Amino acid sequence: MSQPIEARDVTLRYRLDRANVGTIKEAAVRTIRRQRKVEWIHALDGVSFEVARGEIFAVVGPNGAGKSTLMKVIARVLPPTTGRVIVRGQVAPMIELGSGMNPELTARENIILYGSMLGRDPRHMRERVGPIVEWAGVEEFVDVPTRSYSSGMMGRLAFSVATDIEPEVLVVDEVLSVGDKAFRAKSQARMNQLINGGSAVVVVSHSIEMLKNLATRAMWLDRGRIKMLGPADEVLGGYQTSG
Amino acid sequence: MTAVQSTVFYDSDTRRRPLITEFQNFWRYRGLIRLLVVRDLTVRYKRSVLGVSWTILNPMLTIAVLWIVFSNFFGRGSDLGVPYVVYLTAGILIATYFSQGLIASGSAIINSRGVLIKMYIPPEIFSLAAAVAAATHFLLSMIPLLGLQLILGAGIPWTIILVPIPLVFMLMLTTGIGLLIASAAVYFRDVLDITRVVTQLLNYLIPTFWTLSLIENSPKALLMVKVNPVYSYLVTFRAWVYGGEMPPAWNLAMMAGSGILALALGVFVFSRNWRRVVVRL
Repeated sequence: MSQPIEARDVTLRYRLDRANVGTIKEAAVRTIRRQRKVEWIHALDGVSFEVARGEIFAVVGPNGAGKSTLMKVIARVLPPTTGRVIVRGQVAPMIELGSGMNPELTARENIILYGSMLGRDPRHMRERVGPIVEWAGVEEFVDVPTRSYSSGMMGRLAFSVATDIEPEVLVVDEVLSVGDKAFRAKSQARMNQLINGGSAVVVVSHSIEMLKNLATRAMWLDRGRIKMLGPADEVLGGYQTSG
Repeated sequence: MTAVQSTVFYDSDTRRRPLITEFQNFWRYRGLIRLLVVRDLTVRYKRSVLGVSWTILNPMLTIAVLWIVFSNFFGRGSDLGVPYVVYLTAGILIATYFSQGLIASGSAIINSRGVLIKMYIPPEIFSLAAAVAAATHFLLSMIPLLGLQLILGAGIPWTIILVPIPLVFMLMLTTGIGLLIASAAVYFRDVLDITRVVTQLLNYLIPTFWTLSLIENSPKALLMVKVNPVYSYLVTFRAWVYGGEMPPAWNLAMMAGSGILALALGVFVFSRNWRRVVVRL
């Protein structure tokens, strides 16, 4: 069995200094005064799951449950402390869209740069500028610095770049709430297209109603541990009734 | 079943192989590095009113002030072999390249935090790209220096073709030390301030606007100047950009040695520690 995402007993813990030491000066002073309170944070604790192709896997839980940390582990940003993660295929993360965009650069320059950061060939990205701006509905402003873009335009552009190829793994963090009604319908259609094309999708959201319509399976995280894992209806229903 | 052909594969159990992984990444991501350098240049030049980046204007203004103040003092009857302003410009250019490269490379990772905490890009790419951008600024600011050499009759010797050698070794030096600073800066915000102060002090310790003859009677002072690796870059650069001669062998050795050592050490330490650093980013 080789699923696009396999997580085995993933634990992520790190030392956190409660005193929030931010400079060398502070660290030196506090070390001398013996005021350093270091503790271990278990952001994820023994999390195991798999996501298959064409599956929409929802991750829910209260704030601080480890949802964002899990997204970063799948996106390869954070290596697990123990356990193992295997991700097969290209990952397109859509966590807080637009972070790769520089406002001083034009949409064209940003598309090429953003796409290349997502691991695509810059030469290929140059050819894709046209279709990407067209889909995002900003083709008149392709050579305008994105600093004059509205946040809606930025969101559409970033979504368009991220979903321009068919990634094997799509990581989504509250992305569908961006944009107006028409764009939401359009992006929903594209998401469905990606999923049908074989992408494994992981979605984090606080909007349970939206996830109920979308997700096929779900995982409920609480303080870094799995509280429930299974069919979306059951898990989301259970999470909803827990308050 | 349509089999999705995977070219990308991530297994968290694959350990980074220090040095090998990083140099593979530098090569694999060369397209992105080029784009990041272009981005840096575009943004800097777009923002400037005069069409010349402040990163180049800044050393030029420094040179102008130092020239006005010190040309009478160091310029008269000196054994520099070239007009004082040429000697001075070459000195300031190397000092600026060192400090700008180090600070750019050292702050690159923290500046790219927004991207690095969301998608996987080898972080060392950003430090290298920043150092390459600084090298480009250095190359561009060589144009006024070569202009001065021509106008003032110092000429441009054939050894000019060797100038890329100190340029590349300085690139290695700033990338290597920059990576060490970059991981420390994730933990402590004041690391970059300390770097600024230290590079400034180091730059005063090399003969940029002053000459070695000033301290020739003090072996201690001479030693302090000569152990500073940047001194060897400066000697080599001056010998090749206008001197038309070979610098002492020990300067060449020190330049190559410090560049290679700094890069190897920086990449190695960075590679070993990144797992611990990234959770704090």
